[in-house]
Amino acid sequence: MSTATLPSPADALPGGYIPAAAEPMPDVLPPVKARKGLLGFVRRNPTMAIGGFLLLTMIFIAVFAPLLWTTDPTALAPARRTREPSAMYWFGTDMLGRDVYSRVLYGARVSLLVGFSVAFLASIIGLTIGMISGYIRAADTIIMRFMDGLMSIPPILLAIALMALTRGSVQNVIIAITIAEIPRVSRLVRGVVLSLREQPYVEAAVAAGTRTPMIILRHILPNTLAPITVQATYICAAAMITEAILSFIGAGTPPIIPSWGNIMAEGRALWQVKPYIVFFPAIFLSITVLAVNLLGDGLRDALDPRMARSL
Amino acid sequence: MNRRTLLQAGAGFGASLLLPPLAAPALSQGAAARTLRFVPQANLANFDPIWGTQYVVRNAAILVWDTLYGFDDTLTPRRQMVESEETSSDGLTWTFRLRPGLKWHDGTPVRAQDCVASLARWSSRDSMGLMLKAIQKELVAVDDRTFRWVLSKPYPKMLMALGKNSTPMAFMMPERIARTDPFQQINEYVGSGPMRFVRNEWVPGAKAVFERFADYQPRQEPGNWLAGGKRMLVDRIEWTIMPDPATASAALQNGEVDWWENPITDLVPQLRRNRNVRVDIADPLGNIGAFRMNYLTAPFNNLKARQAVMAALNQEDYMRALVGDDNNLWKKLGGFFTPGTPLYTEQGGDVLRRGPQMDLAKRLLAESGYKGEPVPCIVAQDQPITKAQGDVTADLLKRIGFNVDFVATDWGTVGQRRAMKNPVGQGGWSMFHTWHAGADTINPAVYIAIRGNGERAWFGWPDVPPVESAIAEWFDAPNLEAEKTAIGKLNAAAVENVLYVPTGFFLTYQAWRANVSGIVKGPFPVPWGVSKA
Amino acid sequence: MTAYIIRRVLATIPVMAIVAFFVFSLLYLAPGDPAAVIAGDQATPQDVERIRESLGLDRPFVVRFGSWLWDIIHGDLGVSIFTNLPVTTMIAQRIEPTLSLMILTLILAISIAVPMGVLAAWKQGTWIDRAVMGFAVLGFSVPVFVVGYLLAYVFALELDWLPVQGYTALKNGFFPWLENLVLPAIALGGVYIALIARITRATMLEVLSQDYIRTARAKGAGQRSILFVHALKNAAVPIVTVIGIGIALLIGGAVVTESVFAIPGLGRLTVDAILRRDYPVIQGVVLLFSFIYVLVNLAIDLLYTLFDPRIRY
Repeated sequence: MSTATLPSPADALPGGYIPAAAEPMPDVLPPVKARKGLLGFVRRNPTMAIGGFLLLTMIFIAVFAPLLWTTDPTALAPARRTREPSAMYWFGTDMLGRDVYSRVLYGARVSLLVGFSVAFLASIIGLTIGMISGYIRAADTIIMRFMDGLMSIPPILLAIALMALTRGSVQNVIIAITIAEIPRVSRLVRGVVLSLREQPYVEAAVAAGTRTPMIILRHILPNTLAPITVQATYICAAAMITEAILSFIGAGTPPIIPSWGNIMAEGRALWQVKPYIVFFPAIFLSITVLAVNLLGDGLRDALDPRMARSL
Repeated sequence: MNRRTLLQAGAGFGASLLLPPLAAPALSQGAAARTLRFVPQANLANFDPIWGTQYVVRNAAILVWDTLYGFDDTLTPRRQMVESEETSSDGLTWTFRLRPGLKWHDGTPVRAQDCVASLARWSSRDSMGLMLKAIQKELVAVDDRTFRWVLSKPYPKMLMALGKNSTPMAFMMPERIARTDPFQQINEYVGSGPMRFVRNEWVPGAKAVFERFADYQPRQEPGNWLAGGKRMLVDRIEWTIMPDPATASAALQNGEVDWWENPITDLVPQLRRNRNVRVDIADPLGNIGAFRMNYLTAPFNNLKARQAVMAALNQEDYMRALVGDDNNLWKKLGGFFTPGTPLYTEQGGDVLRRGPQMDLAKRLLAESGYKGEPVPCIVAQDQPITKAQGDVTADLLKRIGFNVDFVATDWGTVGQRRAMKNPVGQGGWSMFHTWHAGADTINPAVYIAIRGNGERAWFGWPDVPPVESAIAEWFDAPNLEAEKTAIGKLNAAAVENVLYVPTGFFLTYQAWRANVSGIVKGPFPVPWGVSKA
Repeated sequence: MTAYIIRRVLATIPVMAIVAFFVFSLLYLAPGDPAAVIAGDQATPQDVERIRESLGLDRPFVVRFGSWLWDIIHGDLGVSIFTNLPVTTMIAQRIEPTLSLMILTLILAISIAVPMGVLAAWKQGTWIDRAVMGFAVLGFSVPVFVVGYLLAYVFALELDWLPVQGYTALKNGFFPWLENLVLPAIALGGVYIALIARITRATMLEVLSQDYIRTARAKGAGQRSILFVHALKNAAVPIVTVIGIGIALLIGGAVVTESVFAIPGLGRLTVDAILRRDYPVIQGVVLLFSFIYVLVNLAIDLLYTLFDPRIRY
């Protein structure tokens, strides 16, 4: 391992993903029959396939929740509270008589929305900042010092502190978690940009007189996409868990809007006697986070070697 | 295999690994039996029982501070710190003489001057105290053990005022502490009660510790709730704050705590099944659930808006949300007073008892001219009672057509925010939830929440003159019949004007380990006479 | 060498300054008027004004920031709005449980995860590898509090091997202290173990494919010696890196774990402070945790020089 590629503490991302150098590049891939089509894809990338499939299922559930035999998730019926799962209430009812099945399905919307939004926003903003920082020396030191500072605050604490400034709502949760995740993305992008700038073909393009925006668009940007995508998946997983934790301690989405986090938070008091209220959202959340993590792993295995080779 | 054998096995193994001599656990078996570990209903964030009216503060305060009089279990005031009292023939002069041998926790003797200063501070915050202050001509110490209160009008309920258990109780504090401004918190916790507050072990939000005050002189009579001799049979009481009921339940079953003030109803069946745990109704006088609307801000400054809410009310929803399926634990309430007591009435309270009338509610809302302004409801999430009520109310208001702004916070913040009279956009509020112990809703004297005197009333500041005149009538009533008439009028007026909305009457449980004895039923936990085997 | 250390230490100062800036801005941006809250409901506007002046709330931002910073350097973190106690006192009361939990979790996680990762790397491609990695991914996915509740239910309630909740100070006995922390440490450590195991495996795989390993094997070195003496030492850097970053995970998880197990630590203090909007406490805790995080990563950076003599930043 050469010193140039040693990761510094600032570079590791959620999911333990450290870009390029520290990940293994297998010299020889196990031989797989080169099948075309979907089956071939699944064969070659089992983790990505499983993760993708599970995630698509969850998305389907979230989008089509009203059509999946659900009722109004906020409809109170205290006379029918804490009923065990049965034919009428598939996941039982909670302490206010609301149908847990409906709440869990609708809760998928919030959790997925938070996960995807945070991943998307953090990536876009981090990309922009990283580009600027990597390309413009003058801005680099200031921006990176700033990001270092922000990164030194543990992300959950930062999210919690930001939530304390405002009231609980889905938008605020998204904003709070996004802010906590931006620094890492920007460092990643900056790292890629810095290493790319030294590449011969970039220097050649500069010598040929290509304008900077063209260089960024043509050469730099495409090469950042792979690591950003991989790490976006990890951010998505982390964001969903962070949302659950925020809701658990009462600083997340308001209880009026069901999310897996606050369904579990409300059910925690009855955990020993009516475990299903916590159990079902926990399972859904775990499966979704697992799916996203697997997807990320699969993407990384698929994209990284290619990315590393193309440099 | 259980924890003990594992511990012993580990200990032996560890010792053999040349670990340095390990400190033995601080509590040996004997000492453990003299420590009572209690889980209170909420966090003890501050500890000034005159400044803060929350129940949890009062429940801790009765350990540390004593009162001149105390209610017994029939809610009759009896002498506690006072040895004798005298009223002049015209009823205008009260002279009180203290018991000998009373000491503060710092060793100094209790003097009449201390009581005078304490009463001055208390009467600036308490509703009955304010009444006394308004007619006070002189409150002065005559000598070290006697003081005198001279009034301009007779006040027959003086002893009730001094001994009542509704907050703020008339606790006696040393003069230097009692001189603190009544609108600021004290920061020295010295009293003359049977326990001392161990300040350096207080971790706000986690733990509060009390130790037996060796020089406390209990009265000779047997203890009877807040009256009689307060004999402590344990040396130390540890309050462990557990915001998670599941953790508290597990801790009680495991023997890690001894007494749980407020087990939630859903966990009670499981506790009952445990051989080492006893569960019983905490107080037959029960509780009245409540939510209060803000008379000073829109929309609830409009009578029709308030009446809309009351028309749509379904007490069954609230009570089921609070106590679950057990029908023995709740009752519909047609009024504002404690069921099963002489003054209970349902006069004028039909709208409360009959089912929800959504159409009427929507019509009333439209008539009130509501234009969709946000309605901030502050709901404490860490109190199961307020949280359950808050969820039901939010749903109710939405269905009527209000634009609900659900503010989820904690009980401490509710205490602060409900005191603010600002308009809604600037930190004000429209509605908050609470509950009242049945002992506090027995009659208008102890019932701060029933007053309708506008800006000087309890939070929400209801302005209902007919209620005030009914209260005055009650105070002047010569006999029970007249009292009942007055209360009937009060009830009807309170319902008509929606002073606040009672959501129903419910009972709560308390739970303790089987090896703890001496626990009695009452509006709040009373630790004297309680011992551990 | 010393110059490098000094340079590195000095580099943390601007970082902490930025953290301090953020944390201070928190109170500045916070809605509501702290003076009004402190004054209470019966205060007149003049009282509120008086309190505002005494708190220095009417001075410009820079001045307030400067004086706040000055106080921090002298160890004064302000006074809690709710309890009227100094924030430093409140933190001091609660720091032992949280530090105990974090350190124990660290030790536990490292001692489980590193061998796990080494094993997975050694047996790459076999079912052991898949099992270990599957377990690791699971560790990421299940929320901490769910694991906590499960553990409490099985080991404390049902089997009665360990207590359900609470914390016993170290001075009251080593084993009671340990007892109270075992379940929380396992719950908290789950994610951390997953992270470390993955990185250990990944780095070991890469190291194992290096030429010098092949040489060592050719020279007849035993498998164990290869794994631990040659490979692990070279893999140490990324592993230690991740351990450092993972501290952030521990801090975040401590917040939840302390709630579940009723441990009176800084995590619960934070949660209570958030719900109450007790900004001085929130500020103090965030500052403290960030400081710990920066210190740990500084220590790790300095440890690099021990592990890899080639490093000279």
